[in-house]
Amino acid sequence: MPSLELQQIHKTYGGYDALKGINLSVEKGEFIVMVGPSGCGKSTLLKTIAGLEPIHSGRISIDGRDVTNLEPGDRNIAMVFQSYALYPHMTVAENMGFGLKMLRRPKAEIDAAVRRAAQILRLEDQLGKLPRQLSGGQRQRVAIGRAITRSPAVFLFDEPLSNLDAALRTQMRVELSTLHTRLGATMVYVTHDQTEAMTMSDRIVVLNQGAIEQVGTPQELYVNPCNLFVAGFLGAPRMNFFKGTASKVTNNEAAVDLPGAGTITGRLAPDASVKPGDILTVGVRPEAISIGGEGSEVRARVRLVEYLGKETILYADANPLVCTGSDTGTTDVTVHLSEVRRLAGGDEVQLRFDAKDVYLFGGSGDRTLSARK
Amino acid sequence: MTDFWRRNRSWLWPVIFILPAAVLFGVVIVWSSVQTLWISLHSWDGMGPMKWVGLGNYVELFQDPQFYVSLTNNVIWLVLFMLAPPIGLGIALLVNQKIAGMRFAKSLFFTPLVLASVAVGVVFTWVYTPQFGLLSLVYGAFGAAAPAVLSDPNAVTFAVVGAALWPQIAFCMILYLAGLNSLSEDLIGAGRVDGARGWRMLVHVILPQLKEVTFIAIAITAIGALRSFDLVSVMTQGGPFGSSSVLAYDMYRESIFSYRFGYGAAIAAVLFIIMLFFIVWYISRLIKAEREA
Repeated sequence: MPSLELQQIHKTYGGYDALKGINLSVEKGEFIVMVGPSGCGKSTLLKTIAGLEPIHSGRISIDGRDVTNLEPGDRNIAMVFQSYALYPHMTVAENMGFGLKMLRRPKAEIDAAVRRAAQILRLEDQLGKLPRQLSGGQRQRVAIGRAITRSPAVFLFDEPLSNLDAALRTQMRVELSTLHTRLGATMVYVTHDQTEAMTMSDRIVVLNQGAIEQVGTPQELYVNPCNLFVAGFLGAPRMNFFKGTASKVTNNEAAVDLPGAGTITGRLAPDASVKPGDILTVGVRPEAISIGGEGSEVRARVRLVEYLGKETILYADANPLVCTGSDTGTTDVTVHLSEVRRLAGGDEVQLRFDAKDVYLFGGSGDRTLSARK
Repeated sequence: MTDFWRRNRSWLWPVIFILPAAVLFGVVIVWSSVQTLWISLHSWDGMGPMKWVGLGNYVELFQDPQFYVSLTNNVIWLVLFMLAPPIGLGIALLVNQKIAGMRFAKSLFFTPLVLASVAVGVVFTWVYTPQFGLLSLVYGAFGAAAPAVLSDPNAVTFAVVGAALWPQIAFCMILYLAGLNSLSEDLIGAGRVDGARGWRMLVHVILPQLKEVTFIAIAITAIGALRSFDLVSVMTQGGPFGSSSVLAYDMYRESIFSYRFGYGAAIAAVLFIIMLFFIVWYISRLIKAEREA
């Protein structure tokens, strides 16, 4: 029995479709991360699971129980908000015990649950304090503690780390993963941070414009994105995309003419249909491009070099090979080298990439046409 | 000059901005208050020479039965006016619901605030008129005759307070509406997830957030009750036989009608001391809140 099941969730705001038929099944103990660009509906989806936002149609069940029309407090869920949403007039202990108090549990049971949560989150010394006397990281822990005390079937997290500074975020990320292992609880986590998505999740749900683009393990989504959106969304720096024209198509291969880079031949997925003359998008991850060596194909001029300690990121102008939809807002090709290369702006380089690392996208929704890797 | 300015502007700017308000406050409030205390120690008709009588005015005041009637009425005002914050909160919670037509209802509740208090007084005088008033219609519906509340010494203060509560409730409602609009949506969401709803949501999550608004509503309502004057003046002139008078109206009548400015000033001084109790409470709360922030 799935811990959380969403069936055909539809939600509209006025005439705007915020959620367009979401289907998702989450197993007990799974850590699901929902990612997507701003306005993709990920927070709205989380709030509909919590019951804070009504849905138009569809069915939500938790542990096999239909909760679609239940109040948030009756759904057996707990939620951690981005703003923490701690009750400012209650002490840490009162904040953490409030949910159980509303359930009219005996005081001894509430105290025990609060103490247990405080011990897990190292908050034992803070129980008598008010939220405003705590640091950001401590407030975050209290918000998590408030969720833990109720031992819910599903934990919901709405961008819980985005108000913390970088160091604390890393620390809390590790703590949350540890907590997940320790509690073995089902967690649904919304973020726009890919590092959080890649590192914490059992499965990632990529949302775009109110619909699920793809669901899968982080590795699966990274290696085999189902379309151009997912390929571009996961991975930093972002995948390079070039426009090309299919010139020759055989049963399982397509040759694509790429201005400035000759012809690239990629293997096709069994169900892909490509005709000669089709405009396709060719995708190459920055780390799949190397510099120099044999069989160099593309001449480029270095624009900018970023040294990241033991890695190097290059932005190179390879005109007439132009990159489309780049994060940098230019048509430069992004190259991610796993070693330090002493290069400077203006240097001539030869870019090389292997046909087996190339992705082909095309057709309706820019689906992935190249074969699985 | 510019060098002097640059070194001292951190305190010069605040001084320059506060100065106009400080001068105005000093002349209109502080100086007038001191002068009132001075006048209260004299017998004065407002035009002729002032004659020193020491505490004579106060001795007379504390022996005057009218003073105790007015003081009792002020207490009645104060107690009944405390209904305004909770009723205002109730209406604010009601009209804050997202229901069709609530905007219209909200604007109806706003009405008394745009009326001059003289108009409120006149409207309620009509409502209380025994022959054709709204009150007589209500009583008539049950086959009874409406009492003439404004001419009954035992009922008249309650009737005037009833009229005064109308704009006061609207005022508290607006304070609470503003407070409700600034509530954190996440906090209410957290409360809902924690299973709080209805009355318990109000008591445990919403009201604690409205603590500051409640404080302001109570303080302003208390001071409004103590300085009540206009409705008494419009509806009853303190009558019948001074039974609906309050201290502020006594002060006005003694000074303006009886030309006893010294005696009026003594009443004002007593009223000031009563109000001081609330003002000190209000200001000490403000200072405490500021220190905590």
